[in-house]
Amino acid sequence: MRRVVVTGIGLITPLGCGREAVWSALTAGRSGIVRIEEFDTSGLRTNIAGVCRDFRPLDFFDDREMARLDRVSQMAIAATGMATGEAGLTNGQLDSYDVGVMLGTGFGGQSSIEEYCGAFFSNGRGRRSAIAIPKSMYNASSSNIAIRFKTRGPNLTVTTACSSGANAIGQAFHLIRYGHADRMIAGGADAPVTPVVMDAWKDMRVLSTKNDPPERACKPFSANRDGFVLSEGAGIVVLEALELAVARGARIYGEIIGYGSTADAAHITFPDPDGESNAILRALKDANVAPAEIDHINAHGTATKLNDQSETEAIKRVFGDRAREIPINSIKSMIGHSMGAAGAIELIAATLAIDNQVLPPTINYEEADPQCDLDYITEGARQVSGSNPLRTAISNSFGFGGNNAVLVVRAFQG
Amino acid sequence: MTRQAVETIEDAVKDIIVAELRVDRDQLEPATHLMKDLGADSLDALNIALRLEEAFKIKIPDDAIPKFLTVGDIIKGVNEHRAMQ
Repeated sequence: MRRVVVTGIGLITPLGCGREAVWSALTAGRSGIVRIEEFDTSGLRTNIAGVCRDFRPLDFFDDREMARLDRVSQMAIAATGMATGEAGLTNGQLDSYDVGVMLGTGFGGQSSIEEYCGAFFSNGRGRRSAIAIPKSMYNASSSNIAIRFKTRGPNLTVTTACSSGANAIGQAFHLIRYGHADRMIAGGADAPVTPVVMDAWKDMRVLSTKNDPPERACKPFSANRDGFVLSEGAGIVVLEALELAVARGARIYGEIIGYGSTADAAHITFPDPDGESNAILRALKDANVAPAEIDHINAHGTATKLNDQSETEAIKRVFGDRAREIPINSIKSMIGHSMGAAGAIELIAATLAIDNQVLPPTINYEEADPQCDLDYITEGARQVSGSNPLRTAISNSFGFGGNNAVLVVRAFQG
Repeated sequence: MTRQAVETIEDAVKDIIVAELRVDRDQLEPATHLMKDLGADSLDALNIALRLEEAFKIKIPDDAIPKFLTVGDIIKGVNEHRAMQ
């Protein structure tokens, strides 16, 4: 069984692009939620979202490449470029059958589908395209990463709604651990801030309608929370077999040591603490660590009534009385819910928390909820004390469909 | 066909190629090869065919598309399909 480490990080988020920009915003407790200006929201109850306004596709692609790539692929490729660049990997170290891609996405090339459907249903008034299929298919992003970076090994797309990114990193971790690949580009990307998706979520009544001010809308674990805030983004990590990373003197951000995945097998949207707690238990078993060794939980923390209550219950079932002692955060309070990207961005946040010994806060917490009574780091970023260092963290991701994924990351020690 | 109509078709074809391939209009000579000179691929050819069908209200058969190799081929092809349909 090989050890697997994180050697590169790429981020496109509503808080900015790149590891340093995002980390400084997260630890400053800044919100990336804004008023939607990209399309007409007059028919919606929610007119806010997390939009990656600092992401300038023209910095990464020429006009012609952009026309071929849906926004989700643009973000996935740009984040991959950041991750591999920061990992210091040369083309020769990527161009291999032992290097693969495992990418999570919930919505795939949603904008391209909407554009084509718009043209189709408007009797020829919209702009049709001969490349709507290769732009919108769910595996477009992972395949385009391979084409651009010449990674010739396993190339797969994982789609489990809100846990896609976490499942992708978990699957990639196992591929390397059990010898099916040496290096993996793994993570998630989603670009679902579109008129159709916003309208569909509206009808499901799970989006926050606290539109004013946008940055205060998302209130995970607070009694007055009223739903999640949709967002977009990409989070990519370079995972490597430890011996390869060490051999080339790579900077190591952390070690992935466990992954657990379960299905609630109960209801398509209603969360179940049983499936969730078992995902945590399976991840701990996979990591061969006891619950007592977990120092931090990066929560799924969507700020829906049901999720936050169910997740709190799942944490209590696994950690018992100690649940109250574990600092827990929801960075969705700042970034919003980027669907298939969320689990990857959150695993990165947990890794950086260990690397920096700082815990980003859960912002916008206002009212205690008796059913959410744990330590959610609501007072602002928390410096970890030197006498009690942050070594091991879990990142929870629970998707619609009842698809749960939990990752365990630990400070690297040679 | 009047001389003006011929020029209009040529202009419209060039408009489509410029828009789809993001190339300068000055590059487009009758002998300019879409793939060899302008870097187009088969997906570009399909999009160009789609735009030609929309612009000229014609149907381009599948087997005609591989014959659209140069700017001149396309102009000639559009004229033929217009005459036929």
